[in-house]
Amino acid sequence: MAVMTGLPGIDPALVRAAQRGDRIAMAGLMDALAPYVGKLCGPIALQDGPDAAQEALIAILKSLRGLREPAAIYGWARAIAVREAVRVARKAARVVPAELADVPAPGDPQLVTDVRDVLARLTPEHRAVLVLRDLEGLDERAAGALLNVPPATVRTRLFRARRSFRKAWLE
Amino acid sequence: MNQDWPAAGLDPVRRMRVLAATTPGVAYAEKLIPAPFDAVWDAASDLEHELPRMVTDLRSFKITSARGERMTARARGRLGQRAGFDVVLRPGWCVMQSRFLVGGMAAVAEEGGTRFAFLGGLRLPGMRLIGPLIRPAARKLALRPISRLEHRLRTR
Repeated sequence: MAVMTGLPGIDPALVRAAQRGDRIAMAGLMDALAPYVGKLCGPIALQDGPDAAQEALIAILKSLRGLREPAAIYGWARAIAVREAVRVARKAARVVPAELADVPAPGDPQLVTDVRDVLARLTPEHRAVLVLRDLEGLDERAAGALLNVPPATVRTRLFRARRSFRKAWLE
Repeated sequence: MNQDWPAAGLDPVRRMRVLAATTPGVAYAEKLIPAPFDAVWDAASDLEHELPRMVTDLRSFKITSARGERMTARARGRLGQRAGFDVVLRPGWCVMQSRFLVGGMAAVAEEGGTRFAFLGGLRLPGMRLIGPLIRPAARKLALRPISRLEHRLRTR
């Protein structure tokens, strides 16, 4: 749970009440989770971030009864939010993301330093890896388990995505 | 660097869509009302006066206590039914719940006016089963209070 530090605490009684079908508690839980879900969905789904956050919260609240331990709610919500964000981003497919090799090299006039522009050049899956590692601080094993890919795949995606990201960022 | 990652916001109408999608059997509708947000929400959030106009089954809705955005209210129906409600009310957002009923309103400024959402329904066992069957009719039902509010705003 170390990666969950810094997040506002959520009263277990609020979670239990929402699980019992109390709609005011459910709305309160949504208020508590929305900033975190938005923080995860934004960098992965980009312009479709609000749609992804909406779909993620629907999925989270619909399956709330399956959450046994209220203290685990952030980790549980994170898994659903990241999967929903990747799904929504892939479905929208507004632009076909460039291959990582196509990300401009340093010095290329095309190069941009805006985080959003750099993220837009990655696939939703690469963005998910970056978010889980660089924003959430998960290790390869945990990120891989969440994304249903082997840790080695996470490592490869991360190395390439981070390199491209940092080149652009530092430029 | 973290502060530069693009976060996704979830406005009150999107939140009400979430509540509608996760509350079995409720009536839900939204509509763009061609009036400024302040005018729409000033009217809609005046629960004691406006709610009985919007929901015609309701004879009265009296706020009995208020602390911050949390309130309690007592509702009376046209047939004499009574219900105590817990209410959360803040700009652009209102959720109400009694033992057997749930209601909600949300509003957000949008190009051309204000997007307004209305939710209402029963909190009963079995709504999960019949919800999908009544959804089309329920949407029409939920549009009526919005149309009444819109009419009121035009004639004020």
